[in-house]
Amino acid sequence: MYLEYLIIAIVLFILGVLGIVLNRSNLIIMLMSIELMLLAISLLFVINSILIDNLVGQIFTLMILTVAAAESAIGLAILVAYYRIRGTISIKSLNLLRG
Amino acid sequence: MYILILFLPLLSAIVSGLFGRKIGTKGAGIFTSNCIIISFLLSCYMYYEIILNFSPAYIRLWRWFDSELFTTYFGLQFDNLTATMLIIITSISALVHIYSIGYMAGDPHIPRFMAYLSLFTFLMIVLVTSDNYLQLFIGWEGVGLCSYLLINFWLTRIKANKAAIKAMLINRVGDLGLVIALIMIFKEFGTLDFSIISSSLITFEINNNSLTIICLLLFIGAIGKSAQLGLHTWLPDAMEGPTPVSALIHAATMVTAGVFLIIRSSSLFECSSIALVVVTIIGALTAFFAATVGVVQNDLKKVIAYSTCSQLGYMVMVCGISGYSVGLFHLFNHAFFKALLFLSAGSIIHAVSDEQDMRKMGALIKTIPFTYIMILIGSLSLMGFPYLTGFYSKDLILELSFEKYYIILAFWLASSAAFLTAFYSIRLIYFTFIINSNAPKEVFLKIHESSKIILFPLALLAFGGIFLGYLGKEYFLSNIITPIMPNSIKLVPLFFSLSGAGLAYFLLCYQINTLDNKVFKKTYHVIYTFLNSAWQFNYVINHLIIKQIWKMGHVITYKLIDRGILEVIGPKGLSVVFVKLTQIISKLQSGLLFNYVLVIIIFTTFFISGFNIFKVM
Repeated sequence: MYLEYLIIAIVLFILGVLGIVLNRSNLIIMLMSIELMLLAISLLFVINSILIDNLVGQIFTLMILTVAAAESAIGLAILVAYYRIRGTISIKSLNLLRG
Repeated sequence: MYILILFLPLLSAIVSGLFGRKIGTKGAGIFTSNCIIISFLLSCYMYYEIILNFSPAYIRLWRWFDSELFTTYFGLQFDNLTATMLIIITSISALVHIYSIGYMAGDPHIPRFMAYLSLFTFLMIVLVTSDNYLQLFIGWEGVGLCSYLLINFWLTRIKANKAAIKAMLINRVGDLGLVIALIMIFKEFGTLDFSIISSSLITFEINNNSLTIICLLLFIGAIGKSAQLGLHTWLPDAMEGPTPVSALIHAATMVTAGVFLIIRSSSLFECSSIALVVVTIIGALTAFFAATVGVVQNDLKKVIAYSTCSQLGYMVMVCGISGYSVGLFHLFNHAFFKALLFLSAGSIIHAVSDEQDMRKMGALIKTIPFTYIMILIGSLSLMGFPYLTGFYSKDLILELSFEKYYIILAFWLASSAAFLTAFYSIRLIYFTFIINSNAPKEVFLKIHESSKIILFPLALLAFGGIFLGYLGKEYFLSNIITPIMPNSIKLVPLFFSLSGAGLAYFLLCYQINTLDNKVFKKTYHVIYTFLNSAWQFNYVINHLIIKQIWKMGHVITYKLIDRGILEVIGPKGLSVVFVKLTQIISKLQSGLLFNYVLVIIIFTTFFISGFNIFKVM
């Protein structure tokens, strides 16, 4: 039973990764994908904490949720600032720093 | 006193070369001439002491090379050969110095000219007085260098530059042979001293093959310096220098060095019969070849240049049949009458406003009779006219070569050369002096006998050209056993010379009438062109050797190796590869966010799964 939860969490994580890698247009989708990845990891922590009967996982989950909230707040703030300057939130136009 | 003979020409070269500005053109001429004259007087005294009183001298100056088995002293050896050579060199050089004062008058660079002449004399004296091969090599290279400087004396003329470079480079070919010979000698004998080599030839068993190789290599050196067949092409071109230079190079110094080397190494040559045969044949061929070419040359100086080449062939030939003292005798005699011929030619050229083409001269017998007499004495001596200097050595050379039945070819080649020698000598005199004048009127009106300072050396040389053979024969030929042969053969050279002279006179007088036949005319034209261009030696060498080497130098060493392989492997190829590589790597950083993420994720995956990418690579 726990195995299914684990698989779900991993699949969610992979979906989040693919959302970042394959997404070429929208910065908001990217932020959402990051949120998704963080959620998937939180889920993994929770499942594992139950699995090994240890509270540290749930404490970490809480920490991650806080960090995720702060991160998304800052991310959105950056996004808004970026939009003000460039007038677009497309990722493709985010390539000024080439090698 | 013996060292002074060496030192004086060096002193005069240094003073005239470095302080020529101080002593002026006149001072340079007088100072250098006096130095060489004193040097000549000293060598006369030395001749008296060494040859007439039988007391050869050896002077060791200082230790030069000293490493393990190889010790070479800077030493001077004054024996009979050296004394004779010194007499030749210093006397001719002194006369040429005096002559140059008059001949070069008006030239702004007389101090430089005199310095070169003196340096030339000095290095030639170093060459002949050395007691080992290494020191001989200093003189050997030095006279090559000085010949370059002197031929190139009028350095604004491109032709003179080319001729000088040619002389230098062709001499280098021979020098290479000499260098290898020196290495071989050191390998076989462990020393380069003449005395040790000749004595160890008696006591030790030396490998015969390597002796032959040594002799042939030495002979290659002599070929280059003495302008034998194959490496002779520099000699006619060396006429670009001023006439006194030609006299010095062709009569006394440079070209005699090769013959001197053979005579000096006679103990080595005697041990190798193959080398001797090669020497004889090359010498005879040179004598014949140069004589045929001399017949059709139209440049006054070139005729004499080819006759030098031909006479050197005689000397080398007689060395090949072991008549070294006869070779030396001919060298001695030749120095005087050839210097006489060259200096007289200079006098003629001086008289006709620097015109060298014989076809534009003529009728000079009326205007410059003194020079006519001089050149007549020189030519008759060259032809081996009885009782003149050339007769005593030239006839004997021919007789000795007849004795060697196994290379009788040499005798006939040399006899034909004698025939042709007479032919071109008479032709030269006929064209310049006897025929009706072909000179332009303004030149003809200005023809005059040269100044006394030019004629004085000629008179002295004419004395040499008449009497020296008679005076020297007792000394030079005392150890020669005259071969026994029928009288008819003994008369062959004389007959050949006289018939050659007669034929020349006859042909030149009736030239127009004999050239009517068309076929005859055509063959005559072909032969004339062939001989006039010196058997096409220059053409063949340029096209078959020099152009190929140039091409190889450009295509292979320059294009393929230097600009090709070395650059691709070396700096240029490496830089191109690295730049391309870094460009590829830096393109990975595209500036696009999702690519970065992909890379991060891939490598994180590797990291988490414990997969070490660097270990795999």
